[in-house]
Amino acid sequence: MAQEQATANSPTHDQAPSLLQINGLVQRFGGLTAVDGVDLDIRKGQIYSVIGPNGAGKTTVFNVITGIYKPSAGQILFDGTQVAGMKPDQIVRRGITRTFQNIRLFNNMTVLENVLVGQHTRLPGDVVSALFRLPNYRRAERRAEQRAIELLGFFGQGMIERKDEYAANLSYAERRRVEIARALGSSPKLMLLDEPTAGMNDAETADAVQYIQRLRREFNLTILLIEHKLQVTMGISDRIAVLDYGKKIAEGVPAEIQRNERVIEAYLGRKAAVE
Amino acid sequence: MLTLATVMIPASASPVGIFFQQLEIGITLGAMYALVALGYTLVYGIIELINFAHGDIFMWSTVVTLAVIQAMGITASPGPVKLIGLLILLLAIGMLVSATLNYTIERFFYKPLRKAPRLAPLIAAIGASFILETIAQLWRGSSFVAFPSIFPSVGITFGSVRVNLLDVVIVIVAVVLMYGLERFIRLTRMGKAMRATAQDPEAAALMGVNINRTISMTFIIGGALAGAAGVLYNLYIAQVWFFTGFQLGLIAFTAAVLGGIGNIYGAVLGGFVIGLIEALTIQYVPGGFAWADAVVFAILVLILVFKPSGLLGQQIPNKV
Amino acid sequence: MATQTPSKAASSWTAGIRRGTDGIRRWLNETMLAGRPLIWYVTGWRFAVIALVVAILLPLVPTSAYSDIQSLLVAMISVFVYIMLALGLNIVVGYAGLLDLGYVAFFVIGSYTMAAGTYGSINDFAGKLHDLPTLPFILLIPIGAFIAGIFGILLGAPTLRLRGDYLAIVTLGFGEIVPVVFANIPIFFGQTGISATQPAPITTPVGIISFTDPFNHAPFYYLALAVAVLVTLGCYALRSSSIGRAWVAIREDETAAEASGVNLTRTKLLAFALGAFVGGIGGVINTAAFPSITPLGFSFAISITVLIMVVLGGIGSIPGVIIGALVLRLFDVFLLQRINDPVHQSFLVAPVNAPLHVLANVDFNTLKLLIYGIVLVAMILLRPQGLIPDARRRRELKGVGAAPEGVSAVGAFEQEEAGMSAATTADVLDPSEYTGAGSDAQGREG
Repeated sequence: MAQEQATANSPTHDQAPSLLQINGLVQRFGGLTAVDGVDLDIRKGQIYSVIGPNGAGKTTVFNVITGIYKPSAGQILFDGTQVAGMKPDQIVRRGITRTFQNIRLFNNMTVLENVLVGQHTRLPGDVVSALFRLPNYRRAERRAEQRAIELLGFFGQGMIERKDEYAANLSYAERRRVEIARALGSSPKLMLLDEPTAGMNDAETADAVQYIQRLRREFNLTILLIEHKLQVTMGISDRIAVLDYGKKIAEGVPAEIQRNERVIEAYLGRKAAVE
Repeated sequence: MLTLATVMIPASASPVGIFFQQLEIGITLGAMYALVALGYTLVYGIIELINFAHGDIFMWSTVVTLAVIQAMGITASPGPVKLIGLLILLLAIGMLVSATLNYTIERFFYKPLRKAPRLAPLIAAIGASFILETIAQLWRGSSFVAFPSIFPSVGITFGSVRVNLLDVVIVIVAVVLMYGLERFIRLTRMGKAMRATAQDPEAAALMGVNINRTISMTFIIGGALAGAAGVLYNLYIAQVWFFTGFQLGLIAFTAAVLGGIGNIYGAVLGGFVIGLIEALTIQYVPGGFAWADAVVFAILVLILVFKPSGLLGQQIPNKV
Repeated sequence: MATQTPSKAASSWTAGIRRGTDGIRRWLNETMLAGRPLIWYVTGWRFAVIALVVAILLPLVPTSAYSDIQSLLVAMISVFVYIMLALGLNIVVGYAGLLDLGYVAFFVIGSYTMAAGTYGSINDFAGKLHDLPTLPFILLIPIGAFIAGIFGILLGAPTLRLRGDYLAIVTLGFGEIVPVVFANIPIFFGQTGISATQPAPITTPVGIISFTDPFNHAPFYYLALAVAVLVTLGCYALRSSSIGRAWVAIREDETAAEASGVNLTRTKLLAFALGAFVGGIGGVINTAAFPSITPLGFSFAISITVLIMVVLGGIGSIPGVIIGALVLRLFDVFLLQRINDPVHQSFLVAPVNAPLHVLANVDFNTLKLLIYGIVLVAMILLRPQGLIPDARRRRELKGVGAAPEGVSAVGAFEQEEAGMSAATTADVLDPSEYTGAGSDAQGREG
């Protein structure tokens, strides 16, 4: 109880219990080591950002956490249980959800159907109730549909009105929103957002920042974020980890990261060289 | 395969003799399978398409060379000199027919689907296969037509193992073609373009490789090899049938997968291995004839399930 | 995949044909029945109502015993069987996006279940006959379906990890092996085949209904119709369930589906098993109607024919698949004979130099397969979404929004390159043009 109290009081949640603990994570592809001994500790209620130059292994870390890759070595403890090596759908069931860098919607399904797929783990999946539309099945479907509309409503009435539109016909910002609504469908505890503001203009970015904070508040979520726009990460993160060449080179609160020499050299220095 | 009945040996031979005789048959069959398997592997290597019509490309060589030999009125073996000329002529015609067909199908059926989802060209290939088969069936009928035995039945006998001159010729022709292919791919400009395209078409295009021409060339080469196999098959099995391509195509595809699809050495190895397995199955499995196809398929399934990269293939990294 | 932009020449011929078919398209759009365009009648619930009414009324057309209507009924029984098969394959290919080229295997299993279950005896490997209890037909429908479904799982379990095109070849192999097994083991009389006992007559308050009366095929017709309707309803129910959504999701994007909590293995296996299940039902009904079966009668051509029905009608579209099966099967078992025989007979006595005498030697059954092949290729190249694309139920009901037709059908197999032909595909029968939304699918890039 005392601990819970501390969670609420600390603005950066760093006294809260761990939700996701990654120890010594290694991911190799043939001869290439994409992630090399990364440790992360994400506390309940945090917005935690992972930054780093292109190819630093950020998305690979996401793919390992969500079970797309099986890690070559290391532990991933979610809420105290080892999830490394589990299948993606099992990990979703435990409460981790994600979005993708290059938005992966089901283009030939409607917005509503997309969000309903997100609730897949919460719906009866047996053939008999689907075939005969048994009462409990119909109730579950109705509830799921209501909830899908509520989730869309998180982004305003405008998204609810788009529910019967095919995902392929949406604007870029709308696609992002649908993807998040879909990710919310599994009632997650932890949401992984892979560059949620990529390709957005300043106004859209500001809007995204605002809803990421609302996500944490309204859905009681912990958020793990990959983000390139430093003004976004510095603004909303409780903690930041910096990856470079698959290794964690720094970790701390935003102010610490901004001052860190290695980060400035490795991350900003190279970025300047590219541009 | 049903048609293998024609190459069965008398049961009077000694067990060891029988074994070696089956090896000899297996190698000869394997040489032909390898030629056809190369076509699958080349095309898959470059555009990741299972060219379902490839077996029928092979079959069309058998059908056309039969028509040629019938038109020439040849029913028995001509003299040795004429025979060599005739063989060269048939090989040229068979290779030309199959190469042209393969090129045409690529140009009109697969090329418009270059950017389509993976299964679209595969369905087009199945359609192409159906079209090729039924035209052959409309033309030559539904039953086997015998190919005249133009090759004299000479050979050497080691104990009870008979090695026909024809078998030697088949293996030599096949090996020469395979060697030629290997040199072509290693040494020529086009060969390098093919390898580059197989690795990374985008990068190859940026480096100035003409992708369309390279793909066309791959189909032409694959077709020509299948055409040559068709002529050899006519000499060896001597039964022309519209459905041969389907059966032999599946066997050759299995060979390509066994060797590691995309790998030309793998296709050759796979061809010989499958040839041997088939010859031994026919001899040693009770009722082996009927089961030969089933055995080949069982092998295919087992490889795909347990080692999809085949004997010589490389594991493809998983891209997300 | 090669990613170079296809040159203008590469796609010009398909574009040319599309321009050429614009005339047909206009004609179809303008063809009106009672003030409605033709397409209006083949989408959504209207299709279901019209099809069902026509199907129910068909046997009631006044007829004498040997008239064409009786042979039409026989043909229609076969049509219903193929509708089941096409719907079953549509679950696998259309919903889940798994190309199954050996679908005939499940048809075989259903057929042999019916035959073995009613024949009364069985052969052992020594050639000795043993009595086998016979089972009633109505019980054999679920039994055949279950056995086929189990084989679907047995085949699917080891192979579903494979990439799509490999899966196609493995299923093809399975489709080839199953008939070979039946031909070469003596239990069901090997190559000779076996004959089922047709369903026994049933006594009802209105009299005895016989399913084997050669002068009245209506009872069996209605039986097959009823089963086909049940299968159709089942397909609709599945498609709109969470299972159906999961199928379409994995077809669209496996990774995103998994990340949404869909268990790939289970979902694919379920598609395979249910597709096989329906194939098994088709086999039982078919053998009940046409009782003599031989293993070698089940060829790859059947697998392909069913696939063509699915592709022709519109991959994933239930009305499309039904119409695809109806058109092809009627053509096959009803029209073809009516072309074949008169043509051959008319040339029996005609002089060899008579015009068109060459037709005397044409085997129309082979010609049919040639046409099938051409249809398959033409559809995939020119109209991959099929004749009646999978128009989703919401749009039919509300008439808002337009589906990305160009990507909806085959594009849906795998979403790597959705841009295939969304912009260029001529929508010959695009229903969205009549639902008030207009066709914005036309101009959009995928």
